[in-house]
Amino acid sequence: MSYLDVLSESKDLVTPGMSACQGCGGELILRKVLQISGENTIIGIPPGCMAGAGVVGWNFSNGLKIPVHIPLLDNTASLLSGVTAMYQKMGREDVNIIGLAGDGATADCGFQSLSAAAERGEHMLYVCYDNEGYMNTGFQRSSTTFKGSQTSTTPVGKVKKGKKENRKNIPMIMAMHGAAYVATASPGHMKDMVEKIEKGIAASKHGFAYLHIISPCPTGWVSKPECGIDLAKKAVKSNYFPLFEVEEGVWRRTVPNPKPIPVTDFIAGLRKFKHLGEDELAEIQEYVDKNNELLEKLTREVS
Amino acid sequence: MRKYISPIGKEGLYVLDTASWRTYRPVMDKEACIECGACMSFCPVNSIYRDQEKKYYISYDYCKGCGICANECPKDAITMMLEGEGENE
Repeated sequence: MSYLDVLSESKDLVTPGMSACQGCGGELILRKVLQISGENTIIGIPPGCMAGAGVVGWNFSNGLKIPVHIPLLDNTASLLSGVTAMYQKMGREDVNIIGLAGDGATADCGFQSLSAAAERGEHMLYVCYDNEGYMNTGFQRSSTTFKGSQTSTTPVGKVKKGKKENRKNIPMIMAMHGAAYVATASPGHMKDMVEKIEKGIAASKHGFAYLHIISPCPTGWVSKPECGIDLAKKAVKSNYFPLFEVEEGVWRRTVPNPKPIPVTDFIAGLRKFKHLGEDELAEIQEYVDKNNELLEKLTREVS
Repeated sequence: MRKYISPIGKEGLYVLDTASWRTYRPVMDKEACIECGACMSFCPVNSIYRDQEKKYYISYDYCKGCGICANECPKDAITMMLEGEGENE
């Protein structure tokens, strides 16, 4: 079955009208993940854009057609560990346990419980939609925010020019935990993303699976809503967000990128990078190249 | 045996009228469509669907009018029209 058949024939388990912004990447990711996982799923969504957009429900109504939990910002993985344990005890290994969190609830606040769950090899799929900041509360900096980004806590003025630190490379950190399946995906490469979600759900039956998906945010990044998918594609083509997967310790680049475009092509349309001068852009390019070199080494040596 | 241990809202589904957000509406030119499925796979609201004969249709019930479909269509078969203008199918 091609990915288009999968997407057209599976049921949409999210409410048709949810209050995510126009062109939201997170909404696209949530819908696709649940379409593929199917009705036999329990999902945990911590506070963030997707929870704020009405998915976890208001009062006594639900935003999803399946059971949904709203854990705290920092305990998504540990709450789901408990749910997993319960279902294992009941002999219901067929239930998909999924966590869907933003980058703040994954890389900053939720990292302790996430790391512990990965180390214990809990049977679940954890999906991080990475929009590079705390978008739900007005774009504060997170640890996956890219160097040089203007955010509301790293403003641009006479002295400071956006975030000074490089981002934390969460997918690689998770791969080093020895999880059953770790991958990065981009909604711009939909076939690849659908395959990775399928693989992640399969791997969650025998171990911890982690997916890191870039989620273009028109409101936070200040881009046009129609350009979201375009940006997700350019992020991959410029090696800003390379696509790879790690399956049982074997690293593989799923979308090879022999002729990368310069990062400036990706950055051009975004207001959060508008203030950057030539020196800063060169630094960003240097970081991206270095990161890519490391990935090339890891994928080459094993395969 | 209980099927789930998680609660489901007793008042049912929370649905917002997101169609009222729309300024521009996507209009599909069926002649130019090559049925590649880009619009369906990239639509964040899942407002584009495919029928049995693999033809694609736009549903305006919840479409937010973001314009991703029109931007990603390789044949430019989808155009964004100001709400209230042009022909509605």
